[in-house]
Amino acid sequence: MDKANPRELWEYILTQVELSISPANFNTWFRDSSIVKIGEDGIVYIGVPSQFFKDWYLKKFHTLLLKIVRDISYEFRNIEYLIVKDERRKPPREPRNERGAMELPLDEFYINKSDNLNPKYTFDTFVIGSFNNLAYAAAQAVIQRPGITYNPLFIYGDTGRGKTHLIQAIGNYFKKQHPGRKAFYLTSEKFVVDFTDAVQSGTANRFKDKYRQYDLLIMDDVQFLSKKDKTQEELFHLFNALYDNNKQIVFSSDRPPVAIPDIADRLKSRLASGMAIDIGEPDQESRAAIVRKKAASHGVTLSDEVIEYVANATSGSIRELEGMVNSIVCHAQVKGSVPDIAEVRQSLRSFTRPQKNISVKNVVDKVAEFYGIDENSIYEKTRRREVVRPRQVIMYLLREDFHVSYPTIGSKLGGRDHTTVIHSCEKIKREVVEDSELAKEIQNIRTLLT
Amino acid sequence: MRISIDKKKLSEAVHIAARFAERKAGSLPALSSVLILAGDDGIKLRATNLETGIDLKIEGRCDGEGVVAVPASILSQLASSLSGEGVVSLESAGETLTVKADTGTSSVKTVPYDDFPSIPFPEDQRNHITLPGVVLKSLFSAIAPCASPSTIRPELASLYLSIEGGTLTAVATDSFRLAEKKVSLSNKGTQGVVLIPSKNALEIAQALPDEEVVMSFDDHQCAFAGNGTLLVSRLTNAAYPDYRQIIPKDAVAEAMVLRRDFENALRRVTIFSDSFQKIRLDFDVKAKRLELFARNADVGESSEALSAQLEGSALEISFNHRYLAAVLGLTSAESLSLSAAGIGRPLVIRGVGDASLLYLVSPMNQ
Repeated sequence: MDKANPRELWEYILTQVELSISPANFNTWFRDSSIVKIGEDGIVYIGVPSQFFKDWYLKKFHTLLLKIVRDISYEFRNIEYLIVKDERRKPPREPRNERGAMELPLDEFYINKSDNLNPKYTFDTFVIGSFNNLAYAAAQAVIQRPGITYNPLFIYGDTGRGKTHLIQAIGNYFKKQHPGRKAFYLTSEKFVVDFTDAVQSGTANRFKDKYRQYDLLIMDDVQFLSKKDKTQEELFHLFNALYDNNKQIVFSSDRPPVAIPDIADRLKSRLASGMAIDIGEPDQESRAAIVRKKAASHGVTLSDEVIEYVANATSGSIRELEGMVNSIVCHAQVKGSVPDIAEVRQSLRSFTRPQKNISVKNVVDKVAEFYGIDENSIYEKTRRREVVRPRQVIMYLLREDFHVSYPTIGSKLGGRDHTTVIHSCEKIKREVVEDSELAKEIQNIRTLLT
Repeated sequence: MRISIDKKKLSEAVHIAARFAERKAGSLPALSSVLILAGDDGIKLRATNLETGIDLKIEGRCDGEGVVAVPASILSQLASSLSGEGVVSLESAGETLTVKADTGTSSVKTVPYDDFPSIPFPEDQRNHITLPGVVLKSLFSAIAPCASPSTIRPELASLYLSIEGGTLTAVATDSFRLAEKKVSLSNKGTQGVVLIPSKNALEIAQALPDEEVVMSFDDHQCAFAGNGTLLVSRLTNAAYPDYRQIIPKDAVAEAMVLRRDFENALRRVTIFSDSFQKIRLDFDVKAKRLELFARNADVGESSEALSAQLEGSALEISFNHRYLAAVLGLTSAESLSLSAAGIGRPLVIRGVGDASLLYLVSPMNQ
């Protein structure tokens, strides 16, 4: 629905009104009315045939209509009723589908405008494994007692681990459980855009009101708020307002709250104040279960061999797994048979992950810049502590993230022995576990590198 | 609620009020019912179909206050079955209304009255005129039928009332003919223009009391109040054509005939009119006759020559006989003046000595 189009808006309103009043009432009062215009100041003008209607709308339907339009968008401030000129009363007819072609079943793919939730993300389609059962349990706890148990719920994990699925499923379930209450999903990027728009158009107050009305606010990818100071401040206030009223807040991010760079400490501490849960890398069994479930949802049953192959083909992202399953399903539908392992191998060739290519020099530059040292000193034989640590970090990163061989790392960094490299990598690996400061540093360097 | 009303009064009141209830099936039950209110204001009947509405006061004894909505058709059948002198008592309990008259007792199932809409009155009470109800009644019932029966052009399906300089002018046209009638008013201050849907005007005419009536109006609503009756109608919200532009100012031929002659001649000639209902008027200036002529290939033909006072030049022009006959209901003048402005131009008919009426008929193609 295009909410700026009066006719579509009116039709949507009618479908809502029809549910709440009797058919006789509906036929009597709503058949001849329509939206005349939508004012720029957020007032919706409804055209009615006569004073009888105007009085009755004001008396009986005003609150209902206002609630419906407010649910669509908070930009609609009020409704006014106009007695329209008689010739204008009939809305222009919509051009009909004359060809009689069957319509594509697009309806189920509409994202609900009022809450932004995609109905396809539910708990039913969510695969639970050892990697995410903690996050799942927390989500369930949130649904049982929203706003009380874990507030805010902060879910983090690498891309394609099912964060969005999980948090949208919370929203969809909440909506089903509490039809009268409002859930809202948005990405932090949308929040930023909304905020800047509101500031530009001088409607910051309406922006505040809009977000404060929700009973459940789900914000995806909060890491994108880094460096956006004003928006962070706004989110901080919004957080406090919602939190104080026991409204549930759910965040997702690709890293833990403390590791999000350039975010105000007061916000950071609030993000972490409820429950922060990590969705790890799915283990082999979980991946196989996901592949099986995704394929089954498309009506294709794959052999165990194929499932195992697909589950092992990539590491990490469930999104990629999904892509592979889709491509297999597509093949199956085109050929009319379930593909065997050889065919799958063939068709998935394109999915084999291209090696991340990054020059050693690039890594050195970034790390040196991060620690504020001269990059040339990395290659030198100096053992100064402020150089040693970055050098070790570089080795660790090259090994862990880019799978460069120990001898290569050694020779690239000023002709060091590969045992030195091994020692350095092991050392950092050990320290990362114990030293959260170091872990944070490495996390930040990783964001610089991607 | 417990009330008792004189049989005859109830019967009359219900008969009037029930007309205003919605008659279409499938509408809101409250709209097809009559609301009976008993309270401090006395006993009232109320009905509306969202186009028009009525609020009617009846004399009677009120022993218990209350509101009840009863299906209009049931109530009017019940009321018209009452005969003789005496009193009817109405008593509501729960969802039934018990009507007791003479020997009989009827229990009528009522309708929830929460859905009964409020009847809107014009907001601006300054625009009002006072005139005898009987005058308004005859004005409406004479002019309103000339409006278009089709609602495709809502302004033409309406009665145009213009109040200016102490005169109320009522106009209706269906684009083939036009009727205009003037009534002078006692209060001269008010000015305004209203368009009442002709269907509503006819219904109101049926219910208007004969006594003095105050007509008030605003942009969307008009009301007629008098003698305990309050009638409202929505107004057509459209622009009315400037009909004065089409009234011919000059005449090519003008005839004056006795109304009775014209009426008789028309009745006879009409028998022979064709499927287009066409009859021809000949302004025969030399012979001082106005001839009416009709021919139907299947039936035959007929002509009537009326002696008339004629001026101007000879002219032959054809009309739909129905539109010519309609003028007879609009004026009681003894003679009529017919002035033609030429071929293809409308004919103006006036009552001689009756300046209030102007009737315009558009000719048919030759």
